Amino acid sequence: MSKHTVTMTVNGTKYTREIESRLLLVHFIREDLELTGTHIGCDTTNCGACTVLMDGFTVKSCTVFAMTANGKSIETIEGVAQNGALHPLQEGFWEKHGLQCGYCTPGMIMSAKHLLSNNPNPTEDEIRWGLSGNLCRCTGYNKIVEAVQYAAEKMSAEQEQDA
Amino acid sequence: MRFLQPGTLEEAISTRVDNPEQSVIIAGGTAVVLMLQHGLIAPEVLISLEKIPGLDSIRIEDNRLHIGALAKLGDVADSRLVRQYFPALFAACAAVGNVRVRNQATLGGNLAEADYASDPPAALMMLDALVEVKGISGTRQISLPDLLLGFLTTTLEPDELITGVIIPIPTEQPRMAYLRYNNRSSEDRPCVGIAASATFNDAICTGLRLTVGAACEIPTRLSEIEALAVGSPLTDTRIHEIAEGYAAGIETIDDLQSSAWYRTQMIRVHIQRVLKGLRDG
Repeated sequence: MSKHTVTMTVNGTKYTREIESRLLLVHFIREDLELTGTHIGCDTTNCGACTVLMDGFTVKSCTVFAMTANGKSIETIEGVAQNGALHPLQEGFWEKHGLQCGYCTPGMIMSAKHLLSNNPNPTEDEIRWGLSGNLCRCTGYNKIVEAVQYAAEKMSAEQEQDA
Repeated sequence: MRFLQPGTLEEAISTRVDNPEQSVIIAGGTAVVLMLQHGLIAPEVLISLEKIPGLDSIRIEDNRLHIGALAKLGDVADSRLVRQYFPALFAACAAVGNVRVRNQATLGGNLAEADYASDPPAALMMLDALVEVKGISGTRQISLPDLLLGFLTTTLEPDELITGVIIPIPTEQPRMAYLRYNNRSSEDRPCVGIAASATFNDAICTGLRLTVGAACEIPTRLSEIEALAVGSPLTDTRIHEIAEGYAAGIETIDDLQSSAWYRTQMIRVHIQRVLKGLRDG
């Protein structure tokens, strides 16, 4: 068994840990860092529940070795709310009932966050394509799309206010 | 299992030479990690290419587009150069999996895996791309038909790595398309993928390149059928003839997704759609 030391910044905090080489990023996040908001749905790249941002790009953390994330910056669902205030996306999922069981929600929110950072005013079609690969077995997706639309509108309005 | 991250190509190649049987090369990992998860492979050594600098660039040199092996499929799809000169490659890379897969998966890894149910290889074959390969005795450039041998199999020697893909920029910009047909959900593996480019002088077709992928063990291009298009207008009758030629000339795959018979029907249908699209601009 081979051990390696990795250092990565997760939600703004730097962590250094000794890990086994075959450890996947999702297990590093959940077990080594005890950030259990990132879920494991399928373990085989199908469901998107484990989606996190790595250096600003969404990845399925069950398909990335922790070694690959060494030196990189990771954002998980725990880093989305700022100073106790829900992010507009989290507020959107609350307001529009974008979840039932909630298992897929962290992955949905991370994917939507990446989508909105590239495309602040997506069409419904663009939202559906952006979330393609994140599976939800409860909602039928309509409420999730509405939640992302809510967030896009709110974030655009906030930006206009700032400008 | 050891996880090695060599810092240079030479180091990666010599590591591979030292562990020919027990090692697996990993780039983006979307295929290799899945195989590990399913217990299909159990390497003693994983040789990761991710720390090798300079292998992810997309640039023009000597009138040819060079795409580094570690360029992500998403980067290829987002590249201004790719969109400008090779819209069929853009469309093929943008069709793979979903955004999270494209953020990880690399073009070199896609070719090295040689999975038939994939989009980029058909587009690259249609574009006459060359694959640049580096091994212990130097570098060589091989065409897609010379690289892809069959189901998950390439002609790469154990010491050889794909370092990039080189695509000649055509002197006259052809009309180009890639059409992916999914018979199930959008992020599923393709049932049939068709890459095509055509040039026209008024209504007369002056050149056609047509490759069918995902339906057969390796992407297939039938030059004698392509030649039927040249020198006359692409009438519906002529297009039908070309579609029939490809449907008859390709040995299709039976898998969990589609039967071989169904794939043959879909080749016939979708070649007609692609060619009518190119003809009508």
